[in-house]
Amino acid sequence: MINSATPAEPDAPGLPTVSLVDVASYLPGAPIGTEYFTQYSRSDRMAKNVMFRSPKARHHVDRDETAVDMVERAVAPLIERHGAQTITGIDVLLTHTQLPDNPVMGCGPEVARRLGMRPKHVIDMHNGGCAAFVHMMAMARMILQTTDARTALIAASQNCAGPVFTQPDIRKLAQAPVPGDGCGVGLLVKNDSAPILDIECRTYPEFAGDMEFSTNGERKYWEPGEGEGCVSFTESKITKVFARGNRLVPEVALAVCDRIGVKGRDIDTFITNQPNRLFLRNWHDALELPAQRHPDTFDQCGNLFAAGIPVTLDVENRAGRLRNGSVVLLSAFAHAGDFAGAAAIRWGAAR
Amino acid sequence: MTTSSLPALSDIPEDEVPGVLRIENSDKDATTPIIMDMLRSVYPHDQIFGEYCPVQAYIEAPPEDVYEYLADTRSLEEWTYSLRGFVESEEPGLWLAYDRLGPETKIFTRTVAHKDAMTVDYHCAWDQGQHLWMIYLLRVIDAQVVFNKPGSVVLWVNCKHPFYDENPYPETAPAKRPVWVGDFWEMFSAGHQLEMDNLKAICEYRAAHGLPIKPDWMK
Repeated sequence: MINSATPAEPDAPGLPTVSLVDVASYLPGAPIGTEYFTQYSRSDRMAKNVMFRSPKARHHVDRDETAVDMVERAVAPLIERHGAQTITGIDVLLTHTQLPDNPVMGCGPEVARRLGMRPKHVIDMHNGGCAAFVHMMAMARMILQTTDARTALIAASQNCAGPVFTQPDIRKLAQAPVPGDGCGVGLLVKNDSAPILDIECRTYPEFAGDMEFSTNGERKYWEPGEGEGCVSFTESKITKVFARGNRLVPEVALAVCDRIGVKGRDIDTFITNQPNRLFLRNWHDALELPAQRHPDTFDQCGNLFAAGIPVTLDVENRAGRLRNGSVVLLSAFAHAGDFAGAAAIRWGAAR
Repeated sequence: MTTSSLPALSDIPEDEVPGVLRIENSDKDATTPIIMDMLRSVYPHDQIFGEYCPVQAYIEAPPEDVYEYLADTRSLEEWTYSLRGFVESEEPGLWLAYDRLGPETKIFTRTVAHKDAMTVDYHCAWDQGQHLWMIYLLRVIDAQVVFNKPGSVVLWVNCKHPFYDENPYPETAPAKRPVWVGDFWEMFSAGHQLEMDNLKAICEYRAAHGLPIKPDWMK
């Protein structure tokens, strides 16, 4: 909080201002230590692989805990703080689920039922990947700005760590200890109490299709038979994706900085997705920010995919480290680089 | 344990040279993380340009013609930012000009070019022509070979000779000149890129308009 950046007013003059008025999160179960994975490691060297250097702990969702359960638990603090009526009266509900409980449908309508809402707009968003929180902010803001809807709830659930990365063959892999499960939610309101200053969302079709979901065999995931499903990159693609990620997150972050008239080094708090430690280092270096202004929850939670941004936001906010009036910049890239997004907020939800 | 048919490093005891990573002593699992750690979003200027100043460009003009142009010292009169008034000195091949970055500043240049390798090295110095210590190393490459398209690639490197930091011949400098060529070292990467862009623009204009890359006045 050294600098007090003074960004320009929210973009799109003429459209109403939309605020991210609160965030909350939920982490399932007790922390799982890395020793759970090292007992299955094929070699000591594998554990040292820097690309997949392990966090100290992570949370795993229970086999019977659904994405809807996670969202319900993450929303509970919002009900406490804003009243049940705020949540039941939500106009727009957007959800992102990493591993849908039912592969042919999202969890939005069931979340609405569980929380007693009757939103006008319910959308399950799947393509924003690790940048889905920013993607949902952009979509929610667009709906609030262009309709009579006044409030939106956005929810990002990362739930593949426990179910996918503890499978007998997958848990032996060097990347298995990195993901963690969690859920983060945000409450958006059409007012200027915590204005979203700008958002940039970009799709990069040239990088689409570089991330695969396979059963490590011939079997399609819906077919009967053997093989454990998992997201995968080839070895050569990991390096390509790494180089893309190095570039994409600063690129969209600095595009937002440029438009709101703030230098990267003047951002008070920078929060990104957190695939590994190297990305975290490279991204705050690119914005010329000291590490302490780029908080993360990697060591406690691992790679939280789309939930990383809201979980870290909530942790920082509850710790009193997000000052009202400060500029918070969010940035992330998805999958193998086919999507990236950044958003700047003048914080107004300090605890 | 080597699997090579050549006696690589057989003159040196095993593991004697520190910092040498080869597949025999550091397999891919060990080396990949080291390489990943070296990749960044941004690199400090000094790390990229500290002791060296590399710039490069693709030029849409035939490599032989670009080479012939660069190999003539007088081309510097056109594409450099500040070298002007080239005349051949009494010593054959040694050209005198003025570097207008400094007032009354003479620059001496001898061009050493090799047609087969298409290398053009300008050996230069401010103020005096006896010790040419500022070396511009240029190489022209056929873009067909490296980019699979017609045209030229020009690579240009300078190394930071210690004389950039301190003028070794202060007695030859004009009186009251406040600057020294090495004062600009931190700007070399950008300044040389600007000159490279000049070179590209000039060569591409001539090529596109059917003009000889090396103009008639230089023949």
